[in-house]
Amino acid sequence: MSYRHSRRSFLTQAALGTAALTVAPSLVMSTRAARAAKLSLENVHVDAARRAKELADGKPVTLTILEPSGSLGNIKPIAEQWKAATGIDIQYVEVPLDQINQKVLLEAVSKSGSFDIALPASFGIPDLVTSGILVNLDELAEKYEPEAYQKDYLYTIANYYKGSLYGYETDGDAYVMFYLKDWLDDPEENKKFSDKHGYKLKVPDTWEELDAMMAFFHRPERGRFGGALYRTQYFIAWEWWVRFHAKGHYPFDDNMTPQINNEAGVKALEELIAASKFLYPGARSNGLFENFEAFGQGDKFCNIGWGGTQKFLNSDKSKVRGKLAFGPMPGGIVKGTLLKTPYFNWGWNYVVSSASKQPEIAYLFTLYACSPAMSTIAVRDVDGYFDPFRKAHYKDPQIIQNYSEPFLAVHEAAMRDSIPDLYLRGQGEYFDVLRVNLQAADVGEKKPKEALDEVASKWDTITRRMGKQSQVVQWRFIKSNYPEGIRNRLA
Amino acid sequence: MAEPVRSPPSPRLEMRMGHRRLIPFNVAIALPAQLTVLTVVLVPTAIVVWLSFTDWQPTQGIPWYQAEPVWFWNYYDLFHDARFVAAVLRTLLIVAVCVVVEFLLAMSLALLFLDDWPWRKIAISIIILPMMVVPVDAANAFFMLFNDRGPINYLISIIVGRQFEFAWLADPNWALLPIMLAEIWQWTPLMFLLVLTGLMNLPENQIRAAYVLGASRTRIVLRIMLPLLTPVIIIALLVRSVETFKIFDPVYILTRGGPGAATETISMFMYNGAFVYFRIGYIAAAALMILVVVAAICVNLSRPLKRHHR
Repeated sequence: MSYRHSRRSFLTQAALGTAALTVAPSLVMSTRAARAAKLSLENVHVDAARRAKELADGKPVTLTILEPSGSLGNIKPIAEQWKAATGIDIQYVEVPLDQINQKVLLEAVSKSGSFDIALPASFGIPDLVTSGILVNLDELAEKYEPEAYQKDYLYTIANYYKGSLYGYETDGDAYVMFYLKDWLDDPEENKKFSDKHGYKLKVPDTWEELDAMMAFFHRPERGRFGGALYRTQYFIAWEWWVRFHAKGHYPFDDNMTPQINNEAGVKALEELIAASKFLYPGARSNGLFENFEAFGQGDKFCNIGWGGTQKFLNSDKSKVRGKLAFGPMPGGIVKGTLLKTPYFNWGWNYVVSSASKQPEIAYLFTLYACSPAMSTIAVRDVDGYFDPFRKAHYKDPQIIQNYSEPFLAVHEAAMRDSIPDLYLRGQGEYFDVLRVNLQAADVGEKKPKEALDEVASKWDTITRRMGKQSQVVQWRFIKSNYPEGIRNRLA
Repeated sequence: MAEPVRSPPSPRLEMRMGHRRLIPFNVAIALPAQLTVLTVVLVPTAIVVWLSFTDWQPTQGIPWYQAEPVWFWNYYDLFHDARFVAAVLRTLLIVAVCVVVEFLLAMSLALLFLDDWPWRKIAISIIILPMMVVPVDAANAFFMLFNDRGPINYLISIIVGRQFEFAWLADPNWALLPIMLAEIWQWTPLMFLLVLTGLMNLPENQIRAAYVLGASRTRIVLRIMLPLLTPVIIIALLVRSVETFKIFDPVYILTRGGPGAATETISMFMYNGAFVYFRIGYIAAAALMILVVVAAICVNLSRPLKRHHR
């Protein structure tokens, strides 16, 4: 089968891959800085529109965007300005948000040219790249991307696969913790808690502290619950992912041997399972929006979420508006010091279809849409998905009003130091195996060690099937893009 | 001189183009339909068979017809894939439970509705309503019903006299129940319609004769009506078994196959394989294996039908 390779070729390619990727991240980002920029950063949206207009040359051009349902509010205002500036029309094809990556992938098979630009979930980029449906944007970026275009981006790794540019992130989906401030500040509760644990209630620094606080506040007989953390299959893996990283380990070693079933992994899972006892009863069945609503009732101590969660909680629909404290994802004590591992786990990425008849104009639209000025307009939409991802967004009054200043302060820090998602080919398969087994352990169907051993064994199989050498190269690229402060402390 | 008598045209009509005979006329009129059937059925089947011998994924960036063959490895892997085997067995369990319950309910209702009584037609219309509901909506209704704060828990709370909060959809031992109830609720009406139609078309003479000769109602049902109804029952069981085997909507909406893989049916397994893992070759092999299983079940179920026909 195709994944049989000789040891020599493996070693050679692995060595080359390592060498290339050791320098890749800085190279990727700094070669762009070194080259002659064609467009200026301040006016990139104006210049991109002008160049697109020139390319269209008066001919009727229409760009079609494949977008996840619910994001139209983010895209439409800028698309209208684009049309006014260029005369190039934009059409929208909306698909359910959990099916957009499949739709893009189907286009790789059919090559129908049914869309020019798409907004897939960022974690699916590697699969889409290897399918051949995404345009490698290196040359176009070389030609048009301003020098510092991605400099005030807080998270860029999702834009790249094996060091090449394939899209522009347009949504800052970093995990943030939400707490009920009233409960944290209650003097009586504080006394009881500190009598028991020896420290006061606060925004927790570690998972251990968070778990203790959830247990403390969990009083179902009085209609109070420790938390609204997700225990449904789709979401459960992300919490474990952070708990595991906070114990100081990468999920794979350098050669893609899974480490998740080590002592730290099992401990992280045991802690997650123990914490499940202090969640509200719907935690294992409620989906994303039900979770928002449940936490918005104000009877659960904490929750995990994204910018979208805060936009809901900061709206009239929520009873906890203005009553929340925010914190980064809790960390762990590794070798005597605190290690926090914020996590970016979704995001939408503007990409250009290789079946597009006008890839250059499509690219210019993505450059336009993600420019500081236009992306600020997109992020302002209170009902859309896009959350702040450029430094400039955090200073915009409308965005501050939508999210609140305390939230944005925590969000910006989380974005800056986020560990990357698993941007490997087969991400869906790796994570689905993980989700199914974590949930099986959470409901008592499997022992934690047994569940993680199975995940590790399946991950090995997936890696072999996907081509180990290729996966190792990309994994080393991902590893090299972990924030420096975290990278140095993970084993 | 009289012209020579021409032989009458052959009963086999022939198609001519100019002076050249191409194909018999009867073949010509059947050919487009046959070619369509061949294209629509055989070509995709052939592609699926080919794919099942490869490990093709659209993420490999090569066309499916250039995929590298792995021959029977997919089939070997499937036999050793505990999740696949569990999904097949679970689906068979769902089929057995749902179809039997649906049949018993449908038969009872059909016997009730055999006689004419006031409002009968309106009652039938109400009974068959569930099968007209979009399956996703029906599943959504059951999702709400069995939510931890849904009406089911509320009703149980009233009955037991204390707060009852049970996460039906998150418990591996109970999560299948709401799924099966949703399926039974939605599709019993179809079984009911089939059985009722069969009952209404039974020859009345035999039943009347038995009645006149003093047979009890139970005896008439068991000894006369049921044997006469056998073909209809078999068809109803066949249709529902095949349909239930493909159960997807309630599973997807209620549990997505979870918790863990505790409610994963074969359709859900294939959905995940094809649209989450993008393992088209592997899933093609699974689909073919399932086709064989379903065909075998159908053949076995339809055997009594042949006997009855003879």
